[in-house]
Amino acid sequence: MTQVSEDNGPLVVVDGEIDLAVAPSLRERLETLLAAGHSTLYLDLLDATFLDSTALGVLVTVREQCQRAGGALHLIVTEPRILKVLEITGLATAFPLHGSRPDLAGTDQGDETTRHE
Amino acid sequence: MKRLDMSDRDDRGGGRPEVIALSFPARADLVALARFTAASVGARAGFDVEEIEDLRLAVDELVVSFEAVQAGGTIHLRYTHDAGTVTIECTVEPGLRSHPSEGIAGGELWGGDGELSRQLLDALVDEHGREQRQGRPCVWLRKHRANASA
Repeated sequence: MTQVSEDNGPLVVVDGEIDLAVAPSLRERLETLLAAGHSTLYLDLLDATFLDSTALGVLVTVREQCQRAGGALHLIVTEPRILKVLEITGLATAFPLHGSRPDLAGTDQGDETTRHE
Repeated sequence: MKRLDMSDRDDRGGGRPEVIALSFPARADLVALARFTAASVGARAGFDVEEIEDLRLAVDELVVSFEAVQAGGTIHLRYTHDAGTVTIECTVEPGLRSHPSEGIAGGELWGGDGELSRQLLDALVDEHGREQRQGRPCVWLRKHRANASA
């Protein structure tokens, strides 16, 4: 799990399988950013290959925290398996979804986004 | 991982069911073993890639439904495939620090994300349920191969 600075807000990059073993650290990372005053967060799941209900629970919780702070939790995801999980649980419309990081330049924040390798 | 047994080998359900038993300490970092085994069993049952991925997620949801995964104890999984149908049963043996299987029943069996788990299992498998077996909670699922003749 890595974190990079984006003009629109902090971007957290998670790869591999996001399950019970990873969900707690993901939640801690995102909540640390919220506690630091960021209300809009970006989670890059482009290289994530698996997402279970424990990880989904984290996303739902953090999304609510972002909304209470006046922001949003954006997901960057293209993996069909993860999109399927979001659709099954009715959460595909609950998050702003993006197909790539450059797409963020077209969001309401409007700031230029830098690609990080 | 304590044990990985394979018995009654029989590909694609032409004869007796194939049974694989897997037991491992109830630790979050070992849940991947359940997914790995599910993928192997699904492949042996003739599932396609999509069905195998469904099975991997479904067995993950079975295991994480036990609070024991976070509290200690031992997870026992029994995978059976027969004629294009995979059945997975999951029970937990409480550890010294855990207590979730004693007197647990009904909705208490499910963890904090139980509703999401239920939604996923409903969509991913043909049948799933939970029951008490020999005084211990058991969660199970059953998934048929799409082109299974049975």
